Amino acid sequence: MKKPLISLGRMFFTLVVVVLAALVIWRLVAYYMFAPWTRDGHVRADVVQIAPDVSGIIAHVEVSDNEPVQRGQVLFTIDPERFKLALRQAESTLADRQTSLDQAEREMRRNRGLGNLVATEELEESQTKVARARAAVAEAKVAIDTAKLNLKRATVVSPVNGYINDRAPRASEYAVAGRPALSVVDSDSFHVDGYFEETKLPHIHVGQRVDIRVIGEQRHLQGHVQSIAAGIEDRDRSSGANLLPNVNPTFSWVRLAQRIPVRIALDNVPDDVRLIAGRTATVSIITDTEYAAPATEKTP
Amino acid sequence: MIGDIDVGSVYLPTLLMLMLLTYLFYLPLQVLLTRIHFYRLVWHRALFNVALYALLLGLVDALYRHWMP
Repeated sequence: MKKPLISLGRMFFTLVVVVLAALVIWRLVAYYMFAPWTRDGHVRADVVQIAPDVSGIIAHVEVSDNEPVQRGQVLFTIDPERFKLALRQAESTLADRQTSLDQAEREMRRNRGLGNLVATEELEESQTKVARARAAVAEAKVAIDTAKLNLKRATVVSPVNGYINDRAPRASEYAVAGRPALSVVDSDSFHVDGYFEETKLPHIHVGQRVDIRVIGEQRHLQGHVQSIAAGIEDRDRSSGANLLPNVNPTFSWVRLAQRIPVRIALDNVPDDVRLIAGRTATVSIITDTEYAAPATEKTP
Repeated sequence: MIGDIDVGSVYLPTLLMLMLLTYLFYLPLQVLLTRIHFYRLVWHRALFNVALYALLLGLVDALYRHWMP
């Protein structure tokens, strides 16, 4: 008579423990699997590729690798002699054309002064000559401005605050117009890209505060969600040669959530944290707090 | 906070490390419960053990989150 009661009690006790365990497991799963956080985050920055606007031999390089530069600081100069010569040539062309214009004007004044003694046709011809000479002078002035511009562009300056990346050109290398000679990492553009699984996107909203841990740094960084990418590449589809859709006929039974880049703006970075584009970061979104703009927000 | 645990520059998921840590607590506890004949009160021993481990894991996780923000 006693035995079934005991075994019922044992069963009940065990089941209670199991139910409690299931609740705990559910809580852990909710926290570690569904919470909007990702280990797949990266520090990123805009990299400006700097190409000279004119071709020529590099005369001086003012910067070295990894050197911090300010906006407007001279990076390197292309040998300006050729551009100075071009300027002188343009100036002498202007002088030449100015002389022609003066001559034409004198002729026109003379013809006009003679009144009816000169044929109308000749008068018109001298007027045309003056007009053409004026146009030629204007053209020569443009040539001077172009030569000045080329001379100015022979000095290449940094368009942003940042750091010279990896490799600065060497003096006496030949720089080709339009081909990047060096790149500058824009230090004002540092941000973090978190690649979140699409299943976590419902919990992510623009403006939420974000906790960022860069691998190797003791201190956490603060940020907020700035924007969410509007599109990623469709991996099951490509375009054929005649622009028809080429859809992959195999589709996997097991599929994984894709990852969507979420751009996170950094709010204030402590000085001792070295931001390097490409560093790995763990990004967790603080879902229960709405973002309040700090006083020192950087405008990108 | 969620993240990784740094073991000599190898970054492991937090949960993995917590599970290993929990097992270290779980083993002596199991021995202790056997010693005091606790399992006489238990219906299915294996089922109870799994549940016990889960509860311990929850406890370790709560402690970790409390002490390591």
